Amino acid sequence: MRQSHSKSPRSFRREVGSWLFLLPHLFFFILFVAVPLVFGLIISFFNWSLLKENVFIGFNNYVRTWNDSRFWPTVQHTVIFALISVPLVIIVAILFAHILKKKRFGQLWLLVAFVSPAFFGSVGILSSWKWIFASFPSGLANYYLDKVGLINNAVSWFGSTSVAWGVIILVTVWWIVGFSILLYLGALQRIPPEQYESAKLDGAGPWKRFIYITLPWIKSVLFFDVVRQAILAFGLFDQAYILSGGGPAGTTRTLVYYLYLVGFERQDFGRAAAISWYIFAIVLIFAVIQLVLVTKSIRSTEG
Amino acid sequence: MTSTVPKNKKKLSKRITAVIVTVLLWAFAAFWFAPIFWMLSTSMKSTAAAVIETPPQWIPQNPTLENYKIIFAPSGGLSLIRATLNSVIVAVSSTLATLVLSIPAAYALSRLRFRGRMLIFWIYVAVLAFPAVLFLIPHFFIINGMGLSNSYLSLILPGLGGTFGVFLLRQYMLDIPRELEDAAWIDGCSKFRFLISIVIPYIKPAMLVLSLMTFLGSWNSFLWPLLILSKADKFTLPIALIRFSAGWGDPYRGIGPMMAGAFFSVAPSLIIFIVFHRYLMKGISLGSLGKE
Repeated sequence: MRQSHSKSPRSFRREVGSWLFLLPHLFFFILFVAVPLVFGLIISFFNWSLLKENVFIGFNNYVRTWNDSRFWPTVQHTVIFALISVPLVIIVAILFAHILKKKRFGQLWLLVAFVSPAFFGSVGILSSWKWIFASFPSGLANYYLDKVGLINNAVSWFGSTSVAWGVIILVTVWWIVGFSILLYLGALQRIPPEQYESAKLDGAGPWKRFIYITLPWIKSVLFFDVVRQAILAFGLFDQAYILSGGGPAGTTRTLVYYLYLVGFERQDFGRAAAISWYIFAIVLIFAVIQLVLVTKSIRSTEG
Repeated sequence: MTSTVPKNKKKLSKRITAVIVTVLLWAFAAFWFAPIFWMLSTSMKSTAAAVIETPPQWIPQNPTLENYKIIFAPSGGLSLIRATLNSVIVAVSSTLATLVLSIPAAYALSRLRFRGRMLIFWIYVAVLAFPAVLFLIPHFFIINGMGLSNSYLSLILPGLGGTFGVFLLRQYMLDIPRELEDAAWIDGCSKFRFLISIVIPYIKPAMLVLSLMTFLGSWNSFLWPLLILSKADKFTLPIALIRFSAGWGDPYRGIGPMMAGAFFSVAPSLIIFIVFHRYLMKGISLGSLGKE
């Protein structure tokens, strides 16, 4: 009875009025987010191309990708990249956030240096790094490392797999750490300073203060950042494409790079779509594992 | 008297340490930022000999703007002026459209009551965790199917369904005091007028943050334009630069102009960061975890 009362024409009109505010965005959301997700899933079950007729082939694209000898190395590369770069970015970001927490003379300069690169575009940044890691002796990295005696001859930085990955990880940390710094800086500034002072009086050292005060306070930001970075790491493309071109011999090809080659060079869009769902699955697994690990390590320090 | 002397001494030594730490940090910051300095420095060296000179010249001996002239002179149908214009048009349109769509949606999801509201909100949040790569292939076919390839719209439209902006603005709108709203209802204020005259002034900082992030996201976007653009007259700045550096095979000649292009593409982001860093800092920490 009461329900029919609340469904009076007036409240109905009010509901419609509320929906009207949402509708314009919802339209684009459906067209460019919801529909593409379903559409992408459909494409992955077809032999989909630009010229020929599309043929339904069931799980064939997933099976072919699974059995492709070039797929698993790209999974391995990307997973290793994520396992190294994500913790590294987080550690560097927390460290820098601690440095930046205290206001100093010339604070803006420190912010510009450590944070602003995260807001720069990949092409500009990466072409500068590519020039620094040029293979000839006058390249900046070669010149200075030779000068301090760390290397004897000019290194071809993208000529060997492990060195190329080292450079990609270094550049990635340098480039994206700024965003995480801002996240942790915001979190650190919310910690009441009295907590540190009383801990100091109790004789807690910097490490203990970090574990028992800082970590619990930045926990939620840490969770968010871990998931965000896992998503980012498995989307790695620009660095490999611009810096190493996927070389040497395809050993710096990432999952997205592989998708790009299959989809847009070979024009096998069905398989590329299947690859994108594999990436989604891996990100999901990875994010869950990371979350569990981070939760555990925080619980254990708390308990 | 005797007790104040060591106190002062301690204070002094503390201050000296603080100064030393600050100076060391400045130096470390300079080291960290060196790739940008090196980019700028190389961009002002016009001859190959100057570019590869050792020891590296951080301050060019004969600085010139020759490389900037080269990159802005159209060659092979590729013009950085045109590309810059394209990038500006796309980034500004994306930003405005994102604001126009996200503000009312965030308003509906934060301040209005209607059935399905929470469902939509959770779908919007869940979608934030989907990697962008899932959308590449379907977007490619949807945009092609609409006959929009090589158009500005092909670069603007796909981003408009994004839910980050709605989420960010909603966080701010939740903060608007109830009493303000109640007073407005009593005055017979319509929802639309309430949005325009009370909500929007209240969330101006969030709108600025969203604008900056949308603008920069579009300005820096690389993979999607790379896939969807095939005609040089619609190239955005990053794509034009990458095509420009195709002559990179020659180790020395292209470096100067390339660094000029790189610096030119980075400079707007740098300026935006310097001017708006306070808003960016606040907005990012808010958009990430919400109110606590």
